[in-house]
Amino acid sequence: MKIQDLAAFAAAREAGLAKLLPSRPRIAVGMGTCGAGNGAEAVYHAFRDEIDTNGLDISLAPVGCFGFCAEEPLVNVWLPGRPLLVLRRVQPNHVGAILDAVAHGSLPPAETILCKIEEWDHLTGHLKYGAGYPDVPSWGQVPFFHGQVKIVLRNCGLINPDDIEEYIGVGGYQALYKVLIDQNPAAVLEQMKASKLRGRGGAGFLTGNKWEFLAKAAGPKKFLICNADEGDPGAYMNRNEIESDPHSLIEGMVIAGYVTGAPRGIVYVRAEYPLAVLRLEQAIEQARAYGILGDNVLGRGLAFDLDMVEGAGAFVCGEETALIASLEGKAGRPRTRPPFPAQKGLNGKPTNINNVETWYNVAPIVAKGPAWFTETGSPKSSGTKVFSLVGKVRNTGLVEMPLGTPLATFIYDIGEGGTNGRDIKAVQTGGPSGGCIPADMFDTPVDYETLAQLGSIMGSGGMVVMDADNCMVDVARYFIEFTHSESCGKCVPCRVGLDKALRMLNRFTEGTASLDDLGLLDELCRMVRDTSLCALGGSAPNPVLTSLRHFRHEFEDHIVAKRCRAGVCQELALSPCENSCPLHMNIPRFLQLYNEGRLEDAFLSVVMDNPLPASTGRVCQHPCDDRCRRAGIDEPVNMRDVHRLIADEILLGDKFEPMVARVREQRLEPTGREIAVVGAGPTGLACAYYLALFGHSVVVYDSRPAAGGMLRYALPEYRLPKHVLDREVELIERMGVRFMFNTSVGADISLNDLARQYDAVFMAIGTWKETWVYLPGTELTGVLPALPFLEAASRKDEVPVGRKVVVIGGGNAAIDSARTARRLGAEVTVVYRRERKDMPAIPEEVEAAEAEGVRVAYLLSPHRIVGDRNGQVRALEAVVTRPGEFDTSGRRRPVPTDEVIRLECDTVVLAVGEGVDPDFCRASGLTLNEDGTIMADRYTLETSRERFYAGGDLVTGASNVSNAMGLGKKAAREMDQRLMGQRRFPQLLPAFSYAMEPPESPAEIGRHVPPEAPAGERVMSCAEVSLGLTPAAAHAETSRCLRCDIRSTER
Amino acid sequence: MVEKVKVRIDGEVIAATAGQTILEVARANSKYIPALCHMEGLSATGACRLCVVEVSGVAKLVPACTTPVAEGQSVVTSTPQIESYRKIALELLFAERNHVCAVCVSSGHCELQALAQEHGVTHVRYPYSCPRLPVDTTHPRYVLDHNRCILCGRCVRTCAEIEGAHVWEVAGRGIGSRLVSELQRPWGEATTCTSCGKCVQACPTGAMAEKGWAVEEMTKHKTVVSRLTSMREGS
Repeated sequence: MKIQDLAAFAAAREAGLAKLLPSRPRIAVGMGTCGAGNGAEAVYHAFRDEIDTNGLDISLAPVGCFGFCAEEPLVNVWLPGRPLLVLRRVQPNHVGAILDAVAHGSLPPAETILCKIEEWDHLTGHLKYGAGYPDVPSWGQVPFFHGQVKIVLRNCGLINPDDIEEYIGVGGYQALYKVLIDQNPAAVLEQMKASKLRGRGGAGFLTGNKWEFLAKAAGPKKFLICNADEGDPGAYMNRNEIESDPHSLIEGMVIAGYVTGAPRGIVYVRAEYPLAVLRLEQAIEQARAYGILGDNVLGRGLAFDLDMVEGAGAFVCGEETALIASLEGKAGRPRTRPPFPAQKGLNGKPTNINNVETWYNVAPIVAKGPAWFTETGSPKSSGTKVFSLVGKVRNTGLVEMPLGTPLATFIYDIGEGGTNGRDIKAVQTGGPSGGCIPADMFDTPVDYETLAQLGSIMGSGGMVVMDADNCMVDVARYFIEFTHSESCGKCVPCRVGLDKALRMLNRFTEGTASLDDLGLLDELCRMVRDTSLCALGGSAPNPVLTSLRHFRHEFEDHIVAKRCRAGVCQELALSPCENSCPLHMNIPRFLQLYNEGRLEDAFLSVVMDNPLPASTGRVCQHPCDDRCRRAGIDEPVNMRDVHRLIADEILLGDKFEPMVARVREQRLEPTGREIAVVGAGPTGLACAYYLALFGHSVVVYDSRPAAGGMLRYALPEYRLPKHVLDREVELIERMGVRFMFNTSVGADISLNDLARQYDAVFMAIGTWKETWVYLPGTELTGVLPALPFLEAASRKDEVPVGRKVVVIGGGNAAIDSARTARRLGAEVTVVYRRERKDMPAIPEEVEAAEAEGVRVAYLLSPHRIVGDRNGQVRALEAVVTRPGEFDTSGRRRPVPTDEVIRLECDTVVLAVGEGVDPDFCRASGLTLNEDGTIMADRYTLETSRERFYAGGDLVTGASNVSNAMGLGKKAAREMDQRLMGQRRFPQLLPAFSYAMEPPESPAEIGRHVPPEAPAGERVMSCAEVSLGLTPAAAHAETSRCLRCDIRSTER
Repeated sequence: MVEKVKVRIDGEVIAATAGQTILEVARANSKYIPALCHMEGLSATGACRLCVVEVSGVAKLVPACTTPVAEGQSVVTSTPQIESYRKIALELLFAERNHVCAVCVSSGHCELQALAQEHGVTHVRYPYSCPRLPVDTTHPRYVLDHNRCILCGRCVRTCAEIEGAHVWEVAGRGIGSRLVSELQRPWGEATTCTSCGKCVQACPTGAMAEKGWAVEEMTKHKTVVSRLTSMREGS
């Protein structure tokens, strides 16, 4: 049916509307490539079969994609007069239930319901679906959709892309008709210019100006080209646009054809998008049949036709001059400009090229006017942009947002933060030619200029989110590998420069680069950026240059420490667990040794890596759990509890003496060097132990009467029984370490005295100052800082705790204080100002506390402590907060509300964080960091004073046992190297021989979790809560290891 | 009617004809700008990027060989940054293939070698690729040594634009780009080749040479190619 007059057009529109809002129910299945990949075809066929077999009066249609990739396949269900329901993750087995619901006019299964749409503004038209379903959230209330403005994606996922009438039904081709009737191309051109629409392919040139060049170019032979050669890894907005709504593209191009006088358009689409190719082909056919394309468009005398050409998938053909060369049948290589395509383009004729998404903005601008368009977006970048939000973010999908929206909104509001609640490190915008923007710059508005200032680009709109598991060196290497293999090879900087950059980056990831390579790489990348012929080479170095700018420390880690914190660079890590362990324990080795029944060897393996294996086996934050690949099958291997058991078996059993002798055998010859260690906490103990093993003579000073630091004086007995710690200290002492207790460095002995007496000094006195909260009422009796409270409790001193205790804070010290107070018979409430998932405390500890009857109140910010006439605490007043904007830590900032609540209590424990002793640090005369901690070299831990080293919380601020011990171990290694002039650490480690066979198939057993004493019983005493694994359970647990430490097997 | 424009190159005001490139104007006025892929008489491709210069009002560096002069333009042909980039580009060419001057027929008459000396390239700071590349000796009179090829494309353009035989083309892409004769046939079997030898004369390095010469003996006559164009245009 050729539309040649208004009546025919109106008839097509009515026909389309009758399909979209029929008099019977309509079910539409999202059948983009993404939906199909998630099983949408099977769902569609299941609907088809059911409807046909049962003769149901239901209309069924395929539609494109609504953009929420993480929830595919999406299905729309509409009953006349009701809102459109969007269902998520629909599988064929849901079909029966959904059809039942349709038959009864009820809601489909709750787990499939995503949201409802009551009415939809297609911009060119408006659909009213109906009202109802009060309990179903509206689409804008779903976090992923909240704030999205669908201009480009206005029809996607709602209309059938294979049916031109549905497009006309929502007002499609009306803008074209209007333009043809008005007969004023100059006015349309003015509209386009006034809209300030900028090219969505990445360069951001004003579209109206480009059209004007072409309109002014002489001659009847001109070309319009749509660049649909989308090739960025992680970007697929153009594919979805064409697959879901091909007619919007055609309409935009026909309008441009009229305005610029070009009689022919070409869509250059990559062949790897078969569905987009098919749908566009069909759409072009239909447009011809309906008289939208051809010699007499809509009967208004315009001649315009459209062809589609499939590109062979060369990334460089996204570059306009290369694309033109490819269309001309030549190799896809760019040429220099000028002449610009508007002067000399395809076959030497004037040509205008716009990206797919640019064309989608044309019809709405014509229909609603430029003033409407500039209302959205930022002053210099009007309108919206579609981004593909992918990577380590919870909600992935296509997101259309106004330009100028801050990155944080994309990542934390729309994306709802990292997958599994992980912290996000960076986002890479603009595909392989973009740059990496670190999390602390997420307040950056996303527009052309701001991204460019940060060294990144808008590009086609890829947004790849990265977390701590992404190594920025590897990311840079990956993108250079991509652009290097996509370089056309014409110009020297891109062809050879990228090849050399890749070789250099390979050296970084293998740990064979030097610090000089950093400068060399930086200079090379600048040269490639500044001198390449086309934008591929000009932007390819961006990932490297931005990573060097924002993540230089990661490059340095790879060079100096040969360390990849993300655990990605295989050559630099034994296994993910080893890499994540601050002490770098060879975890697969002790698991395998224990599995082979070699308890003594397993213990030796453990204790050579970690001198406090029983203590850390109880209280470590177990970063290894987060990295264990077994989590991909079921749950991580319980590595911590296995080494706790190995240590307990030896330390608390009758094999202690022989094992002490075996560890002593590992000691190197005495060196005659004398070293002082200040602080007998975990850091100092670890350092002293390894120094003693190196053969040095070590003296440890501590102001307290026994060794262990926080382990002894802050950790409650129920988490770490002190007789276990005593045995570990005994083992360290028997390596030859001497202790000077009750000696305070600074007061009893000065640093200068130490400098005179010793060859080197290591300082690790930790963070013992409780951060004070400036609240009214902290002077009252009954307000206690957490550390002195815990210390008094650990010494079993008289603790002045009342009946009702409120603990302020959310860290481990807060939970320890709460559980200790509970054991002292009090009723306890923990007050934390953020949400539960933001709590820094170990989650298991919080659960255990709650099991013991501790109440945890979230989103409460202390306001003042109320006292009575005698100056005794009576209550805590706290303001109820609500989660606000995301801060740079990726957590929602608590925003106070008007509501204040009062918690009656007689004791308030302040546990809001610990800091270093500022008096000690200042008096030390050493250079300090801004936060008052002592400045130590990142790699050698040397302080500003020669022969003085520092580690643990004293340099990092409050951290945890394993991190602190890791620094103690590192300090011992570095001090020994400095004193002895060689790396002797490998000499310490005994060789083990054990099976190097990965499991044929993963053992089908779940994670073993040690039993706990019943909550009711354990609050009555200070006995240990976790009872540990049994040897049998530990043995079974070791067989769960997947042996990531084995690189290759020869079979 | 030729339009005259005034440009400033390194501070000096120079009269030029509209349509001329910056490189042409500079060279005609004894202003030195290095280039490898450019050759008088052939179309310009802007591939070697040695001729990049600064132009007032343009944020990016532009290739002098393809950028036309414009009235009031101010061009700077050398800055410390440009010099450093040119040096890197030369180093990259040396690192890309096996340019062993000591055993090359063109040593002493090689444009790449001369530019390296001029720009103080005493060593290469980037890892050498050391690719294994063939030498095509199938042609009775000439030899093509891929080890010395810098992919400037002068032979390709000479054959296409002057001889009109289209024997040469660059195949592959990126670092794998290779000069090929007639659909990957060995040169000696290329039926379109007229054996005129102009490509050999156009080659800036020892990649194309006449057979029979020993180290340092191959000298080339570049003017042969350029003169043909000027004579044709003159007629």
